[in-house]
Amino acid sequence: MASSQMLEWLVSLPLDLLRGLVGFLRRLSANKPGFVGFLGLVAYFIVTFIMPNYVEFDNEPKLDQITGPIGSRIQLAVHRDNPHLDSWEALAGKTVGVVRQTGGPSFIEPYQDQFTVETYRWTSRRQGPGIPAALTDLANKEIDALLIFSKTVNQVIVNQEDEELQALFQDNIIISNPSLGPPHLLGTDTQGRDIASHMVHGGQILILTALIGGVIATLIALFFGSLSALAGGFIDKFFTALANLFLAIPQFILLVVLAGMIRFDSTLYLGVIIGLLIWPALLRAIRAQVLSLRERDFVEAARSLGLSVNHIIFREILPNMSSYVLINLIFSITIAMYFQIGLVVLGLAPISDYTWGVMIYFGRSRGTLYNQDGATMALAPVLAIALFQVCLVLFARAIEEIFDPRLRSAG
Amino acid sequence: MLQDQSHIDSTSQPMETSAAGLVDRLTTSLPKIYRSYTVRVFLQAIITIWAVMSLTFVLVRLMPGNPVDVLIEQILTAEGISYQEAYDRVAASFNIDKDATELDQYFQWMGDLLRLDLGTSITSPGTKVIDEIARFLPWTVFAVGTGLLISFVLGIIAGMPMAYYRGSKLDHILSFFSSFSTGVPNYIWGLLIIIVPGIAWRWFDIGALRGTYDVGLTPGLNAAFILSALEHAALPVFTYVIAILGTWMLSMKSSTTGVLNEDYVNVAEARGLKERTVIRSYVGRNAALPLFTQLTISIGFVLSSGVVVEEIFVYWGIGHLLFQSITVRDYTSLQGVVLLLTAAIVFSNLFADLTYGLLDPRVRVSGEK
Repeated sequence: MASSQMLEWLVSLPLDLLRGLVGFLRRLSANKPGFVGFLGLVAYFIVTFIMPNYVEFDNEPKLDQITGPIGSRIQLAVHRDNPHLDSWEALAGKTVGVVRQTGGPSFIEPYQDQFTVETYRWTSRRQGPGIPAALTDLANKEIDALLIFSKTVNQVIVNQEDEELQALFQDNIIISNPSLGPPHLLGTDTQGRDIASHMVHGGQILILTALIGGVIATLIALFFGSLSALAGGFIDKFFTALANLFLAIPQFILLVVLAGMIRFDSTLYLGVIIGLLIWPALLRAIRAQVLSLRERDFVEAARSLGLSVNHIIFREILPNMSSYVLINLIFSITIAMYFQIGLVVLGLAPISDYTWGVMIYFGRSRGTLYNQDGATMALAPVLAIALFQVCLVLFARAIEEIFDPRLRSAG
Repeated sequence: MLQDQSHIDSTSQPMETSAAGLVDRLTTSLPKIYRSYTVRVFLQAIITIWAVMSLTFVLVRLMPGNPVDVLIEQILTAEGISYQEAYDRVAASFNIDKDATELDQYFQWMGDLLRLDLGTSITSPGTKVIDEIARFLPWTVFAVGTGLLISFVLGIIAGMPMAYYRGSKLDHILSFFSSFSTGVPNYIWGLLIIIVPGIAWRWFDIGALRGTYDVGLTPGLNAAFILSALEHAALPVFTYVIAILGTWMLSMKSSTTGVLNEDYVNVAEARGLKERTVIRSYVGRNAALPLFTQLTISIGFVLSSGVVVEEIFVYWGIGHLLFQSITVRDYTSLQGVVLLLTAAIVFSNLFADLTYGLLDPRVRVSGEK
């Protein structure tokens, strides 16, 4: 390629890309499912890559919030005579009770100077007053308000077995102010930690791992597949045979054996291993694509015009394959996702990073999967993974339809 | 292909010649045999299986920890006897020749394999690997096979209208469903089925559906056992159907779309044949033909595709045997399972290759392939 040509190409490249992108988005918006998939992927990007900077990972066990159902939250309990105590301002100068290990203490920390804080243990089995004692104090107006978890309200007030206590609580205490305290959108897990915060933090590594696996597989397949198709002869035979050999091995089973063999330091290494496993099917697809493109009229024309091999590869064949490669990349990402989460769910992959897969693993092994209240610990990541895969597939299908339909028949 | 087969026939005729003549005839006929497509794909299949087996042999021995060490460690901490004593005891209880080098083990195993003997389990002596496989395999074949067939039939039924009414609302809805079906991993479908109808809506009791049949029933041809087996298989089968259906729908759609453009369909319509006849005998049959090859190939992947789903539903099939032998490092069982899974894939591919031309006479298999 002459240098002036190269320069021209470099200058026109960003413009071309921009024009292509605008045109692509316009055509994508006409394809409804594809557009939905695209918006979904953007949403996933925002939630898993941007939101972790603003949402803190909840890693503090809270003993009385264990497997709280969806929407569980800290509520304010006040005496029936004081219904006006419904905001932080109204509480100024009053005595407020909090229960240790419920998240309550850290929750009121910013307002501590405004009122007197009385701390209770969450259980009275050891010394010190517990939650029933705190509620008794509240009913007897020894404290003015009590911060309490909504699930505890049900357990201690509504389902109170001691009839005397129940009468005391129900006659004197009202639970007000759902506006106080943020709800646990998705409930809490087996340690009382907020599931929604885990969802925000649990996707990034998973998606990165799948991306690494997909990109590595695509690069291997693209390089050796085109090489094999263009060079032919021994090289072609060798890579085709190698791909066929790898295709004969049940890949997930091989991955399971490899996972038992290699101690992964990081989940991301898993992506590399997966990438090195799933290239063969891709290689065959890309080889077939290059072979068919090589016979196309425009390549024939370029060849008869005496254009160089480089020109034919980089200006004629590769640009015509980009959408095909992109589709294959997306599908390998879904496969990488399948492999890595399958491993984690079985407990065969590292669980040091708290990902959606690890949430499912713990959901199964700690039994919350079988508990109606706590099922969100497994259901939330299950849905997140399912929808992510669907968005990828919808997007890939849209690309398939938008770009040259001739490319489909060849694959 | 027919011509090629004649070469094999000529070599299989009895040859009453001298040894020198035999060698002479072999050197001339061997290349001819090799050129035969059938013989070549068979050879390739055997070589593939051998290569995968050797790879497995090496890989399982590279896994950290071995069955002997695992048990010696346990005995040492529990009973406080000398290492040698523990070693002897473990070696005696395990089916292991402690002096055999890895190379010896390899040739021993390969030799046994030639006699179709998979050996005996290392960790539970006296148990033949083939018996273990025979115990778990039928459940996997039953569940995944049923799922595969149901989804195949449903996919063909759903795929044709998608092609006939391309671009209609029906097509869009079914395509959308197929994206869900193909995109969502099968074990995620399984988890969804457990959590939503099982736990949240209490439609069925997940705990009672563990295992392959109710405890206390004797396997055999009695109504209670068969009903129980069907009940326990229902959820895994349903999972497989949902997870595979989308692929068949899309394949059938694109295959039917191709057939609809063929001249013979136009001709059939022009002849005034009933629409039903055209759909069934002209379009349907020809469109489903290539799918049968796909079905043959996917039968090979049947055994290995369900291992995670089996764990999720605690449905004890081949996946259970696999994970069990990985946990206790039972090399021979593990090798047996991987051999089985590989052979299934290789032979179903081989079968698809060889029946390709038989099913669809338009496709001529050339030696070039």
